[in-house]
Amino acid sequence: MTVTHVLFESASGYAIFEAKLSEDIGSKTKAVADSFFNLAKFGKMVSLMSFSPFKSAAQALENINDVSEGLLNDHLKNLLELNLSKTSKKSPITLAVSDPLLGKSIKDALGFQIDVSENSQNIIRGIRLHAPKLLKGLQDDDLQKAQLGLGHSYSRSKLKFNVNRIDNMII
Amino acid sequence: MLVTKNLAPGESVYGEKRISIEGNVDGTKTEYRVWNPFRSKLAAGVLGGLDDIFIKPGAKVLYLGAASGTSVSHVADIVGPEGIVYAVEFSPRSGRDLINMAKKRTNVIPIVEDARLPNKYRMLLSIVDVIFADVAQPDQARIVIHNAQSFLKDQGHIIISIKASCIDSTVPPETVFAAEVETLKKSNFKPLEQVTLEPYERDHAMVTATYYRHGKAI
Repeated sequence: MTVTHVLFESASGYAIFEAKLSEDIGSKTKAVADSFFNLAKFGKMVSLMSFSPFKSAAQALENINDVSEGLLNDHLKNLLELNLSKTSKKSPITLAVSDPLLGKSIKDALGFQIDVSENSQNIIRGIRLHAPKLLKGLQDDDLQKAQLGLGHSYSRSKLKFNVNRIDNMII
Repeated sequence: MLVTKNLAPGESVYGEKRISIEGNVDGTKTEYRVWNPFRSKLAAGVLGGLDDIFIKPGAKVLYLGAASGTSVSHVADIVGPEGIVYAVEFSPRSGRDLINMAKKRTNVIPIVEDARLPNKYRMLLSIVDVIFADVAQPDQARIVIHNAQSFLKDQGHIIISIKASCIDSTVPPETVFAAEVETLKKSNFKPLEQVTLEPYERDHAMVTATYYRHGKAI
């Protein structure tokens, strides 16, 4: 099964990439590792299809809450549908996703083939490495600022929802 | 004495002493905070003789087991404004202190989440240069390996603090340390250094290793 597209979830927004030459990306050779490290080479393996930044901090928080639980919310569902439905009519789509849970939610809702194999995780690692360069429209430190803001709001929400304010004891 | 250059001069994080040094040119002052090896295992590791902790100015660090953020604040001092520390802590009670510390240090991204489930916080992370782990859990090695697979750059480094009694209190500590190192080796880590944290902690070791994701050079 060859991955045709990749979903990358960042603190700034969702990105969908088209994957090319991905059949031998999974192989654990030094050459492959080096080409991943090299943006010029990696940039030929994936190309950005769409990047949709979150419109507000509240929207970002809502989305990380759903993504971390493996839930496909309407925002992400619409985005995937909008970008991939047309393509899927021409040729079947295999979407690389980080999390098997979210993958299943996407498959159930939209019917795309999902790939969560090591091969897919490798591509996603490559995207994570080069994200500030690959996500068009982002300034160098925009992603870090988004991570900082979202890290605080996500963590605060975890405290808020722990109504008992009692630690879960780990022995 | 071990100190770090205070990223947020004028304040202590946990009551530690601060030392101000007069600048030699224009009268500016530089403030340092005393890094207590009895309070921070990483400090104990440095004083215990680790040659390289790989945490340096500009580094991106994933810190697992951040607790209240006392050690994290020193790591933040070291990586400086160009670096970043992703600080993961599961306990909400410690998490509150961690968040408050991070308000003063904008290079710290607090993540109140379970380090066992890196997928839960993947939206918050970039690829990092170093993973530091002090989660005091029996499956710590597995937790570190799992996080490295998603977030640690190829040939990046890990530093883990191993508390023997947390893993297996029925065998000698040395046996526990050796078994943990063996687990790391099986997952493409090449061990570099191992020191004990005596006299600051009993039956603790700190191990550093390099991640060879593609399995070469081991």
